Amino acid sequence: MTPLELEIEQVKSELVSMWMLVQSQLNKAKEAITLYDKDVAHEVLVKEKRVNSFELKIDRDCENVFALYCPVAVDLRFLLAALKINTNLERIGDIASGIAQYVVDSPANFDMAAMESTGLLRMYDEAINILADTRIAFENEDTVLARSIFKRDDVLDDINDNSPNTVAEVIKKDAGLLPEALYILSIIRKLERVGDQSKNIAEEIIFYVEAKILKHAKSSGKLTEED
Amino acid sequence: MENTIVKAENYNAWFGDNHVVKDVNISINRNEVIAVMGPSGCGKTTFLRGINRMHELIPGATAKGKILLDSQNVLDMNVIYVRAKIGMVFQRPNPFPNLSIYENVVAGYLLNGIKVSKADKDVIVEKSLTSSALWNEVKDSLHKKGTFLSGGQQQRLCIARAIAMEPELILFDEPTSALDPISTSSVEALFHELKTKYTLIIVTHNMQQAARVSDRTAFFYMGELVEFDDTKQMFTAPADQRTQNYITGRFS
Amino acid sequence: MNLSNAGYRNSKSILFQSVIVFFAFLITIPLIIVLLYIIEKGVLQVNWHFLTNVPKPVGEKGGGIVNALVGSAIMVGVASVMALPIGILAGIYLSENSKSKLAYYSGLCVDILQGVPSIVIGIVIYYWVVLTIGYSGLAGSVALGIMMLPIVIRSTEQTLRLLPPSLKEAALSLGVPYHRVILKVIVPCGFAGILSGIMLSIARIIGETAPLLFTALGNSFLSTNLLKPMESLPHVIYYYATSPYDDWHDLAWGASFILLMFVLLLNIITKVITRKWKIQL
Ligand SMILES: Nc1ncnc2c1ncn2[C@@H]1O[C@H](COP(=O)(O)OP(=O)(O)O)[C@@H](O)[C@H]1O
Ligand SMILES: [Mg+2]
Repeated sequence: MTPLELEIEQVKSELVSMWMLVQSQLNKAKEAITLYDKDVAHEVLVKEKRVNSFELKIDRDCENVFALYCPVAVDLRFLLAALKINTNLERIGDIASGIAQYVVDSPANFDMAAMESTGLLRMYDEAINILADTRIAFENEDTVLARSIFKRDDVLDDINDNSPNTVAEVIKKDAGLLPEALYILSIIRKLERVGDQSKNIAEEIIFYVEAKILKHAKSSGKLTEED
Repeated sequence: MENTIVKAENYNAWFGDNHVVKDVNISINRNEVIAVMGPSGCGKTTFLRGINRMHELIPGATAKGKILLDSQNVLDMNVIYVRAKIGMVFQRPNPFPNLSIYENVVAGYLLNGIKVSKADKDVIVEKSLTSSALWNEVKDSLHKKGTFLSGGQQQRLCIARAIAMEPELILFDEPTSALDPISTSSVEALFHELKTKYTLIIVTHNMQQAARVSDRTAFFYMGELVEFDDTKQMFTAPADQRTQNYITGRFS
Repeated sequence: MNLSNAGYRNSKSILFQSVIVFFAFLITIPLIIVLLYIIEKGVLQVNWHFLTNVPKPVGEKGGGIVNALVGSAIMVGVASVMALPIGILAGIYLSENSKSKLAYYSGLCVDILQGVPSIVIGIVIYYWVVLTIGYSGLAGSVALGIMMLPIVIRSTEQTLRLLPPSLKEAALSLGVPYHRVILKVIVPCGFAGILSGIMLSIARIIGETAPLLFTALGNSFLSTNLLKPMESLPHVIYYYATSPYDDWHDLAWGASFILLMFVLLLNIITKVITRKWKIQL
């Protein structure tokens, strides 16, 4: 491997690590909601700092590769994509800590039935899955999987679009749940953003991978792709 | 197209049995800067020397196909005319060591025995040296030998020598590979200015240089013209796997 | 790396260097002795009278070597006129076509010619020229010219071969035809080298005696007729040095001194040319 390839591998593996961290942040925030566990929520808030420092580190690494190696073609596209994916992941990290903050702020636990009826839990699981699948698409440079993200984001959008009604239902049933219902609405809004960010990431993956396998050569040269 | 200045049609070149340039078709527009890239030995120099008929000077070298300059086949033209219309600048600066700066600029006239009056020569020298961004540096030492200049200045002197013949097209064969970074950037800066008057074809191994100075880039591989496209396109999303492997430094 | 015996290696290296320096110094000693000896013996003989008079018969005081000076000058001049154009053109051919068969064989011939003993060249010219036109300055010139050839050819060839090919390319890329490239670029750029080759070849032949013995013969009178026998410096030395008379020995020493000074001067000029006129590439 050339030094440039090593650098790019390094950026890639850092991105994957950050991705794992962000996924676990989302998972933990969900645990905090469902179990109304303020300790877990605090843990998420603390770990948000690690997400931020990951972002800075990846930014700096990309910067260095640009300055030192003047990457072109697939390398250039990868690094541009990496920068944007980095930003998107950081946002998702913010969202996870925002959700955890609700748990810290909320005076009482969230009503399980309300979370079911509004579709929050289903939405949460799907958001986590989508994020995980974009990561797999990224690691395997799998544009088919990346394209499937767009469809799956529609599910999140549906739940989000219906949320005014479903939340209103909850409030109508029991006016005492009003504060909780508003938290639920806010969380749904945030999860919708997770879907959008994942969609952006999927677009970046397609941008970086797809221009790479190109309208393949007429005559196959002796240059072969190194994997 | 009216705007086309040089066009190669099924151009092939051989050294003996060695088929070095294979069926190249390329069409280059007026006032364009074309970068030619490719691994060593892929035939870039040979192709370039085919354009101004330097290829035929090598014993055993043959060529087939057409090189059209303003829709006329260069093979049917007078060699002096062809090489005046198509200037060439080499890898190492090669001013004539026995001639002064002044004489070097008008060497194309002197050596060909073309009579030019002193007044006309003065004009040609000043104009050419101005165009090659060298006038201010050498105007007080025109009658010193050209070899006392720095590498970058010598290379610009060689460019002035080509410009003096009023070319339409200037060929550069790795023009900065023997120069230090400062001299290199002085020559590169010149490309941008020359572009307004001339068409430039630049063979370069320096990827960044190709990216910086050219409008379109041609990638040669094993004698074939693999890809010819906008430079921006080539450096972000090349169409051919071989191009990509070359520009990203991934050879198997 | 094991540095334990570095001191030993160091001293070995110093010893080796000293040996080299010693021998380099040693070889200058014979040269200096010869020079000093000739100068001591010869310098006193040289005066205006010596340079402007022909030798006197035995017994008479005085006499000079003007016949030899003039004869040498004429023969070297004529030899140069004959040999230089051929030599330079052949040298150009060899440097330009180093890969051709003809170049290989003519290069070989040049090397063999260089190795032919000068007396053999003298005999050949005796058969070729002297037997038809008789002993003459012309015959001597031909012999000297043949001796010049290999030096001029080789030095021209080597000088031109050292010129970077980019120089020729520069001219060709301006549309300059081949013969003009050679005459206007290649030869002028290699001029200093060619000139120093010429100087060296003159320095070489001016001292040749053997090829002149059967050709120019020698002449104790001042003669400028190319078709008549002619005197030359080396011959005058040979002739007077082998004579039994002390007066003539003195004459020989004086002529040796002049010859030595001339060769020395040519060598110095050559050095100056190559240094001063050397084209900066
Ligand atoms: N003067 C020559 N004689 C014979 N073969 C040559 C000569 N010059 C180049 N070649 C061959 O032609 C091929 C292409 O050379 P060239 O055009 O100089 O490549 P590039 O400029 O792309 O490095 C090389 O494989 C080389 O071996
Ligand atoms: Mg080349």
